Amino acid sequence: MLFIELNSSKMKLKYLTILLSGIASICLVSSCTDLEEELYDKVKDDDFGTTPKEVEALVGGAYSSLRGFSDEISNSFPTAEYVFFLNEVASDEATIPTRGQDWYDGGRYQDTQRHQWDSENGMILSAWRYCYTGISKVNAIIYQIDQSGLEQADKDPIYAELRAIRAYYYYMLLDMFGNVPIVTDFEDQELPANSSRSEVFDFVESELLDVLPNLRSEIIYSKFTKNVAYTLLARLYLNAEVFVGTARWEDCLSMCQQVSGYSLNPDYFANFVTENQNSNEIIFAIPYDSDAGTLGNYLHSMTFHYLHNLTVSVTGNYPWCGNGICAQPGVYSKFLDTDKRKASMLEGEQINLATGSVIIMDSGEPLIYTEEIIDFTNAKQNEGVRLNKYEVKEGEKWERDHDLVVMRYAEILMMQAECHVRLGSAELARPFIDQITQRAGTETPQTIDLDYLSDELLREFIFEGRRRTDNIRFGTFFEPWWEKGVTPKTHGIFPIPKSELDKNKNLEQNPGYPQ
Amino acid sequence: MNTKIIYKSWSVLDQYRTLLATLMLVMALQLSYGQGTRTVSGIVYDSDNQPLVGATIIQQGTTNGTTADFDGNFTLGIPETSVVLEISFIGFKTASVTVGENNSETIEVTLEPDMLSLEAVELVAVGYGTMRKSDLTGSISTVAAEDLAKGTLSSTEQVLQGKVAGLTVVQGTGDPSSGASLRLRGGTSLTASNNPLIVVDGIPGVDINQVQPGDIASVDILKDASATAIYGSRGANGVIIITTKSQSAGFSVSYSGLSGVSFASNHLDMLSANQWRRYVRDNGVQGAIDYGAFTDWQEELERLAFRKSHTISLSASGEQSGLRSSIHYMENEGLVKTTSLERLSANINVHQFALDKMLRFDIGLFATIDKWHPLDYRIFERAFNLNPTIPIYDQNGAFTEVAGTLYENPLEILAHRTTDDKRNRLLGYFKTEMDFTRDLKGVVNLSMENNQRTGNTYKPSTAVLEGRTEGGYGQKVYEEYTNLQIEAYLTYTKELGNHRMNLMGGYSFLENTYEGFGAQRSGFETDLFGYNNLGAGQDYRLGDVYSYKGKSNLVSFYARANYSYDNRYMVTATVREDGSSRFGEDNKWGFFPSASLAWNLSNENFMDGTKNWLNQLKLRVGYGVTGNQDGIGEYKSLSILGVGQDSYYDPATDSWKQAYAPTQNPNPDLKWESTEQLNVGIDFGLFSRISGSIEWYQKTTKDLLYTYQVPQPPYLVGTMLANVGELSNTGIELTLNANVLSTDRFSWDANLTLASNEQKIEKLSNQVYETDVIYSGSLHGLSGMSNQFSQIVKEGYPVGTFWGYESSGLDENGAFILSEEKTDIGNIQPDLTLGFGMNFTYDNFDFSFSTYGMFGQKVLNATNMMLYDPNRLPAYNVPDDFLSSGITSDPTFSSYWVEDASFLRLQNLSFGYTIPMDKVFSNFRVYLMGENLMTFTSYDGVDPEVDISGLANPGIDRFNNYPRPTTISFGLDITLKN
Repeated sequence: MLFIELNSSKMKLKYLTILLSGIASICLVSSCTDLEEELYDKVKDDDFGTTPKEVEALVGGAYSSLRGFSDEISNSFPTAEYVFFLNEVASDEATIPTRGQDWYDGGRYQDTQRHQWDSENGMILSAWRYCYTGISKVNAIIYQIDQSGLEQADKDPIYAELRAIRAYYYYMLLDMFGNVPIVTDFEDQELPANSSRSEVFDFVESELLDVLPNLRSEIIYSKFTKNVAYTLLARLYLNAEVFVGTARWEDCLSMCQQVSGYSLNPDYFANFVTENQNSNEIIFAIPYDSDAGTLGNYLHSMTFHYLHNLTVSVTGNYPWCGNGICAQPGVYSKFLDTDKRKASMLEGEQINLATGSVIIMDSGEPLIYTEEIIDFTNAKQNEGVRLNKYEVKEGEKWERDHDLVVMRYAEILMMQAECHVRLGSAELARPFIDQITQRAGTETPQTIDLDYLSDELLREFIFEGRRRTDNIRFGTFFEPWWEKGVTPKTHGIFPIPKSELDKNKNLEQNPGYPQ
Repeated sequence: MNTKIIYKSWSVLDQYRTLLATLMLVMALQLSYGQGTRTVSGIVYDSDNQPLVGATIIQQGTTNGTTADFDGNFTLGIPETSVVLEISFIGFKTASVTVGENNSETIEVTLEPDMLSLEAVELVAVGYGTMRKSDLTGSISTVAAEDLAKGTLSSTEQVLQGKVAGLTVVQGTGDPSSGASLRLRGGTSLTASNNPLIVVDGIPGVDINQVQPGDIASVDILKDASATAIYGSRGANGVIIITTKSQSAGFSVSYSGLSGVSFASNHLDMLSANQWRRYVRDNGVQGAIDYGAFTDWQEELERLAFRKSHTISLSASGEQSGLRSSIHYMENEGLVKTTSLERLSANINVHQFALDKMLRFDIGLFATIDKWHPLDYRIFERAFNLNPTIPIYDQNGAFTEVAGTLYENPLEILAHRTTDDKRNRLLGYFKTEMDFTRDLKGVVNLSMENNQRTGNTYKPSTAVLEGRTEGGYGQKVYEEYTNLQIEAYLTYTKELGNHRMNLMGGYSFLENTYEGFGAQRSGFETDLFGYNNLGAGQDYRLGDVYSYKGKSNLVSFYARANYSYDNRYMVTATVREDGSSRFGEDNKWGFFPSASLAWNLSNENFMDGTKNWLNQLKLRVGYGVTGNQDGIGEYKSLSILGVGQDSYYDPATDSWKQAYAPTQNPNPDLKWESTEQLNVGIDFGLFSRISGSIEWYQKTTKDLLYTYQVPQPPYLVGTMLANVGELSNTGIELTLNANVLSTDRFSWDANLTLASNEQKIEKLSNQVYETDVIYSGSLHGLSGMSNQFSQIVKEGYPVGTFWGYESSGLDENGAFILSEEKTDIGNIQPDLTLGFGMNFTYDNFDFSFSTYGMFGQKVLNATNMMLYDPNRLPAYNVPDDFLSSGITSDPTFSSYWVEDASFLRLQNLSFGYTIPMDKVFSNFRVYLMGENLMTFTSYDGVDPEVDISGLANPGIDRFNNYPRPTTISFGLDITLKN
């Protein structure tokens, strides 16, 4: 008889035991030791990049890398703070004075101002990491595209775009650090060694020339097209003498001549308004949109006085400002009053819109931005004229909406002008310069020489983050100015950050810096 | 004392040959054959002639035995031959009775109490079961309910403050909604959690606030690795086992109520309006604006705060089942306006026996609802900044606004924002205990813990901070986690003559799921909706809506063997194998063994001569390995793509799209942090009045997980989680309990805990990762200190070492005299932690106090560093003492601001009277209690007890000056029993 009479506690217990053992053994052999990780809100790299839409999202990541980042190690934004600050403060157009205790920050701006930076300067690390984080990301994306099932013909234009973006990063490294490692393979886990500055130059040149045929010819805002590659090559050749010791003025000219489809915008500041994507002068820009969650675009909050919001909005509806970077003394007066570009700076009394009177600082003094900075290690709150190039609007968010202009047609004109002057035909430069000065409301001088060009470049491109490169090319970088003495030739490139040398024993410090 | 009596009958056992299919093969099982051919019966009494329920009756030299029932009766089948029965019961001397060949009389046995062994049979929770205290070989401290800290506690951690040697409980702020941090024997990790594992009623990994202080019966703290290794990868930071109150026999209902009032124990002395005016007048200060009022901004933020709590508990228990339930309501107002913690919690547990008490079921449920209002901590800095002559309200009755940096009216910040947070905690379990034989028991415990938090914020368009620029800002966030656990284990206990053996083996499975979502919006046309209608906000930004989810598993096998011989020699060994889904493919499993020995010298014959004063002397030594995997997050070993701030502009559609990008450097070699610990301990008892223990330990954490900076290239991103470093902690602990005086009417007890720990980073590099120094203790956000750090993590130093210029005071111009080079200027680790308390009773009066203290730790007084700034006056207020300090230098981080924050706090003082109402109530006690009555310290800031957890800014007093309350309360405890 199959019926089991469970008539005693002991019997019940016995069967319960057998039942439990059964459950337990099922458990032990099956899922109860499963330690695979299940993903929900993320995706494994192998599972992504198979559809064109996914590939597009991957390539998008290479473009978004251009906006930089901020992490626990560095703040690496090209728009504000340390990548931008480094190049500006090292040049003759800007300064970040220490005001009381504010903006001392371990002396990093003072050291940079005096051209006495060392390899532990956090801004130098920021610039290095901006480039290499971008490069690593592009390498990873190239690897992802390798793995994708796309046809070779579909892959080629994608590779071209990605390699061009990578070349742009390497161009910046070439300019700032010179002798840097070249890494192009995501899977290569070796610690890389330096390449020489001329090897880096050759790499940037050959990469750009190599991908040019596969880049798109039409004007596509914010994308790496043929025109952008030509402009970058022109920049490369313009500075070739600095980079590798051999001048390439003709090559620069021929690249400039390839750029087509752009024109100067009659309104200089139309390039810097919030909706600047509509300007036909812009060759390459990094787009920003506060609503899209883009980060790092808060330069105006780094320059204006703490109470500046009252000058923008009756209710003070403008983001907090930190009273930092401003123009070096002498820069403001380099502009004629008729020069429209002078409005790139803000000088004078600042009016409280609510009261109509001048803002009073907490020292009891009126807020008047002055060109003079008496002691840049202990400046007054109001000293220094402020950066005012991009549009300032009431009710703006901390993250501003305007796109960062990287290349615009004015640069093509100025490069050609400079090459002609360098090649000894200053008069050939005049038509190019005339376009620039006419728009600015000034006049081209009788003699177009390098001194004039240097000043005109300052006026045209002030606070666009490129002045250091121009200073070096014109040699002024190494001469004393304002708060600094003679700069050693070796300081034309920055030292490789100490923390990078510590982590990678194959890296060598740049000459002229302590090992 | 925690004496466990088990009622059951084994008389039927002998009838069956028991075949046991065991879950675990680690246990060899002895089978018991019944061979009874006659039956003997008897009754066991204690010396008061009360039946001794549960006494054990064993036929000498065999495993044949039984236990006495509810009336002390027993029957046992024995062979026809003459046999000797041994009758024993914990706390009594064992008696032997010879039953002659033909003797069939009922045996009557009276057991004499054994005073010595009464102390020794205290049971201690050791994880997956209990052990006799006398058999312990590891370092375990036990705190009974009556010894836990009392008061208007907002978080359960606080019950242990100053109670356990080596356990540091730091309450970093007086905010009732913020918890305390727990550290046992220093921290073991830089990245993973440093919190001890909390085990509630056998369920590991529980939020300690699932349990309310009133429901705790006892807390056992497993300190050394030989004790915690049974929790393997979860045990590196120590284990705190909380046993909640169980059903007591009969019926009882009790009420506890506490009602009190709090005020701030200390303020920073800033210039008053008149002091400010005098300063301006006497010094002819230019540009000073007198706004005409007299405002003490710190006091204006505060209020007299009321606190109350009510707890009702009910307990009923019969022979087969029992129930205990409690409900608790608490409202702790914060000293700072708008802050508070409101808690409603309920707890119920039920047990039921079945199958002649061979089967026991337990169901328990804990539920808690907390409501609070998170504070915008920026108000404290504003309160120090604002000129004391500024009125709170302007002529129109609106909050006064004066333009300036960090100069917003703090009362406006308090008033014009709504923050409502809520947390629901739920813990439930279903436990089955099955006695397969008298010696072999199986336990299966299924449990679920769920913790949900909802956060709501609204900043109206009138709010000075964020509200105006955002045009009204609303946010809702929701997050939850769920832990599902199965714990199944077998225990086998055997006592044979002088041999006592305890084996345990089991399996556990944990699944942790976390998920959440949030939404925020700004640009509201009206502020009427608050956070309740986010859709009304018109500005929408990418990232304003998000959700996430993740999961991890932990699988474990474990076993423990404990053997003791003649109450003199004890040995324990444990093994645990843990598998975690979080680690790399090849390192998912970790092995955590331990072994420990103890020698109870006082039970040796050669110690007889000292017995009159040395009641107990036991030496213990243990070694074990534990692990840590908490707090490091999931998916770190995988190469994954994520979305984040990675949007890109698509010119073709003039729109923004989401980019996908690799987010981390995968580390497939990721593995457990493992902590090796050696512990030597002595337990002693002196003059039958003093008992205590001394412990020495050394623990080393290897394969320290840290997010290292890696070279870029070849790595994708600049950091990577990796196992590299090594960290050690060495220390000594002393625990002393003394019954100083005890007479019929008067008693006086005292207790003392002392601990000293020394921490050192041993290593930060290996062949792959080289790190010279990690900077921590960020000063970012303080004026002029962007990206500056105050601390280092470096080989040879403890975590939280301040690294800066040594200051030898001020020169004649009031400038800081600073050393040339930065150097070690102290660290946040206390040299000594102390807890001391006394209890007195005299007839129906009782009086007690408790103190705790930390000594030798340094705190960076960043509040003063920034306030003693000559640039502040007249616009910004300064402390009184600034005027006489002579400081003329700008704020500079140096040893000048690194202060000794040693303190001793009189945390609790209570005076009670038990009203004799025996006819109605078994207890009726009223008491007055004061909390945080006095603090002895030379620290200059508001309070020396600064949070020292984490790496970001431990031991830095930085405008987080929520005042610590002093509370006076009145309480009432009533118990009704039948």
